[in-house]
Amino acid sequence: MKQTFISIGNTLIPYLVAITASFLAAGLFIGMMGFDVLKAYETILLSSFRSPGAFAQTLVKFVPLLLQALAFTIPLAAGKFNIGGEGQLIVGAIGAAGVGIVFANLPIYLLLPLVIIAGVVFGALWAAFPAWLLYRFGINEILTTVLLNFVSFSLIDYIATEIWRDPAAGHPTTVPIGAGGELPLLMERTNLHAGFIIAVLIAVLVYIYTNHTSAGYELIATGANARASRAYGINVRSLFLLSLILGGGVAGLSGAIEVAGVHHRLIEGLQSNFLLLGLIIGLIAKGNHFGVPFVAFFIAVLEIGASSMQRTMSIPGEMVFIVEALILLFILLSDLVRKK
Amino acid sequence: MTPSESTLLEMRGVRKTFGPVIALDNVTLNVKRGEIHGLLGGNGAGKTTLMNVLFGLYKADAGEIAVDGRVAQVRSPREAIGLGIGMVHQQFLQVNSFSAAENIVLGTPLRNRPTLDLTTPKQKIRALSEKFGLSLDPDATLESQPMGVRQRVEILKALYRDAKLLILDEPTTMLTPQQVDSLFNSLRAMVKSGLSVIFITHKLREVLTLCERITVLRNGKSVITLAREEATEDTFIKAMVGEEMNIGRSLLFAKSSYETEIAQVGSKELLKVDGLSVEAASQENQVISDWSFTLREGEILGVAGVAGNGQHELAESLMGIRPCKGKVVFDGAEMTTLVTRDLLARGIAYVPENRWDDGLLPKATVAQNLILGSHRRPPYSNGLMLNLGAILKRSQELIDEFKIKTESPQSLAANLSGGNVQRMMLARAFSQNPKLMIVHNPTQGLDIPSTEFVYNKLLERKRAGMGTLLISENLDELFLMCNRVAAIYRGRIVGVLERGQFDAYRVGRMMSGLE
Repeated sequence: MKQTFISIGNTLIPYLVAITASFLAAGLFIGMMGFDVLKAYETILLSSFRSPGAFAQTLVKFVPLLLQALAFTIPLAAGKFNIGGEGQLIVGAIGAAGVGIVFANLPIYLLLPLVIIAGVVFGALWAAFPAWLLYRFGINEILTTVLLNFVSFSLIDYIATEIWRDPAAGHPTTVPIGAGGELPLLMERTNLHAGFIIAVLIAVLVYIYTNHTSAGYELIATGANARASRAYGINVRSLFLLSLILGGGVAGLSGAIEVAGVHHRLIEGLQSNFLLLGLIIGLIAKGNHFGVPFVAFFIAVLEIGASSMQRTMSIPGEMVFIVEALILLFILLSDLVRKK
Repeated sequence: MTPSESTLLEMRGVRKTFGPVIALDNVTLNVKRGEIHGLLGGNGAGKTTLMNVLFGLYKADAGEIAVDGRVAQVRSPREAIGLGIGMVHQQFLQVNSFSAAENIVLGTPLRNRPTLDLTTPKQKIRALSEKFGLSLDPDATLESQPMGVRQRVEILKALYRDAKLLILDEPTTMLTPQQVDSLFNSLRAMVKSGLSVIFITHKLREVLTLCERITVLRNGKSVITLAREEATEDTFIKAMVGEEMNIGRSLLFAKSSYETEIAQVGSKELLKVDGLSVEAASQENQVISDWSFTLREGEILGVAGVAGNGQHELAESLMGIRPCKGKVVFDGAEMTTLVTRDLLARGIAYVPENRWDDGLLPKATVAQNLILGSHRRPPYSNGLMLNLGAILKRSQELIDEFKIKTESPQSLAANLSGGNVQRMMLARAFSQNPKLMIVHNPTQGLDIPSTEFVYNKLLERKRAGMGTLLISENLDELFLMCNRVAAIYRGRIVGVLERGQFDAYRVGRMMSGLE
C-alpha cells in the first residue's frame, strides 16, 4: 500500500504547483490592474463556502460541468475526441423540454423519468450521427462533432422562437414544462436540485465501468493502442462508436438536467460555456475518471468565486478563466518536464 | 611500427548514463589500421550506445576519443564523418524513390547543383563498388531493391565520403547466408586496402569467422579485448554471458544433449492449413498464395524467410486479424470464420513481431498490458467485472518469472525498454497456456540468458504436447528449436526441410528464390 501512497503524492504535487503558479500569475495581473490581490484570492476561493446558498449554487454549477467533462472523457478513454458536448446538451435539452411540454399533465413519477430519458436519448442520437460517419467512412470525429454544435444552435433557435415560443419572454424561450417534469429540490431556500444526485451517480458508474469491468478495460486498451487491441481480439471500431454514443448520452443528460432542474423551460444560451470548461476539466484530470469529479468541483468553486469577485470587486470574471487555462497549461508543462 | 599496426581509433574511459541507467561504464576500445574489429555482446550490452557516442549521436558523460592519435571532439555525425568515420545503422535511412547514386550523394557538396549532373559521382561510385565487390546499379531506384543491395548503398555512402573507419551495426540480421558471405568478402577487401571496420554483432560465429580482434561488452563494460587466435569459443561465451549461466547445461551452447528431446513430436494433428491465401494490402507487402501445411502436437514448426515475404500476413491471418481465403482446422474444428477473440479463447496465443505497434499499450499499466486478450476470462475477470486483486497478483508473478524490469505492475508500460516489452509479450502469451502459439521473432532484443529461458519454455510446451509456429529471421534459432522448417520467398512456400536436413546454405538459396 505504501507504493500507492507515493504515487498519489507524485500525482498531486504537479497539480499543487500548477495551481499555485497560475494563481501567482493571475495575481500579477490583478495587482497591475490596481486591485487588492489577497482579497481577490479570498473571494475566488472562499465565496462558495460562505453560505449554504452559495454552496448549493456551487453544486448546481458542478452538475453540468461534471457531465460535460464525462461526455468528453468517456470517448477520450477510447482515443476519440468528442467536442460536440455542447450540441448534444442542447439537443438533449430540446428532447427533455419537448417531452415536458407535450406531456405536461402527466404526474411526476411518469413525466420526470420521461424528461430525463428523452434528454439522454436525444443527446445520444446527436452523437450517433458523427459516430456512424466515423464507423462507416472513417470521417474524423473532431470535425463532425464540432460542426454539429452549430446545427444545434439553429435548432434551439427555431424551437424557442417558432414551435413552443413563450410570447411573454423577450429572449428566445419556450413555455415552461409541466410541473411533474421538474427535478425536486434537495435543500430548502436554495436551488440545489436532485440532478446533483444523478450526476454523482453517473460519475460513479463511469468510474466503475472504465476501471473495474472487462468492457471498460477494452475501452482503455483501445485508447492506449487501437492496433494492438485489435490484434488481441478487441473490436475497436465498435468501441469508437459506443464510446461516442455514451458520451453523447451523458451530454444529453446534462441538457435534460438544465431544463428539469434549473430553468424548467428551454432557453437559448442555456449551454453557457460548459463545453469549454468540460474539456478543461477532462484534460486537467488527464481523463482519469477518479479525478474528474474532484477537478469539476474545484472548477465550479472557481466559477462561483469569479462571479462573486466581479460583483463585489468589479474585477472581470474572465480573470478566473485565465487561471483555469493556466492550470491546464502548467499541468501539460509538468508532463513535458517529467519526460525529459 | 608498420602502418597496419598503428592505432587508428582509441576510446578511453567512456561513460554514458540515461537517468539512473548506466549504459556505458569506463569502456575502452582500440581499433588498429586495416583490421576488422568485432564488437561482441548480448542485446543491451551497450554496443550500439558506444558506437552512437563515437558517431556523435550521443554525448558521453566522461572519457575521450582519439583518432589518428589526436584527441577529437565528436559532437555530431557531421563531425564524425569529417574525421573519416562512417556508420551503417541497423535501420537504413534512405529515400526509397531516389536512385542508389542519388541516395549516396545526398548531403555531400555537389559542384553542379542546378543540373544535378551525377556523371562524376557515378564514376566514383562505380570505382568503389568494383574495388570492394559491392555490385549495384547506381541508377536503379531503391524501392525495388532487395535488402542486400540497400545495405551496399549504405556502405557506399560511407566510402563515398572517404571513411577510414566503417562501423556496421548488426549488418547480417536481414541477410541470407549467401549475402552474408558476399558482405564478408567486401569487408575483407576493404581492410586489405587500409580501411578499418568495426563489426557489431551478438552472433559469436560471425565474429570468429571474420574478425581479427574482438572486444566483448557486457552490462556496459568492456570485458576483454582478444585477438581471434588467442582464445577459444568458450572464452568469448563466458565473457558475453558472465558467470550467471551454466553453459554446460545450456540449451543454446550444449545443443546435442537436447537433440532427442527436441526431435520428438506427437502424432495428432493440431493445426491443418489448406490453401491459405491473403490478398496484398499494399504493393509493398507480398501476397500469400495457396499455403498448405500441418502442425502436429508437440511440434515446433519453423518459418524461415527474409523479412517481408509473407510472415506478418501469415501470423495475422491465422490470428483472424487479416482477412484470408482457405481452410484452417485447429484441434479438430474449423476456424476459418472465427474472429480473433474466439481464437484466443480456443487456445491460440500470439507474439507479434512489431512489438511497439501490435503488442504494447504504452499508456496503460504493465498489469493492463499483461491481461490483454485474456481480460474477459478467469482469473482476471468473471466475464463482467475485473478482479483487480487477482490481476495484480498474477502480474507480479509473471514479472518475477519473466524478469520484466519494472517498478511495479502498476507502472506505465511506456517506460519499459525494448527487451522488457518483448519479455512482457512473451509472459502474456505463455501465461495463456495456449495449445498453439504463434511467435514471430520471439527472442529479438533479448540477452542470452533470456533467450535461453524462452527456449526452455518452448521446450516445456513441447513436452506437454502443445504446438508452436515459430516464425523467425534467425536461422540458428530455427535450426536449434524446430522439427521442420518451411522456407518462404515472395509469399510462397519454397520447400519444407525436416530436422536432420537443416543446412543454412540450402535454406538461404530457398529464401532468395534460387531453389
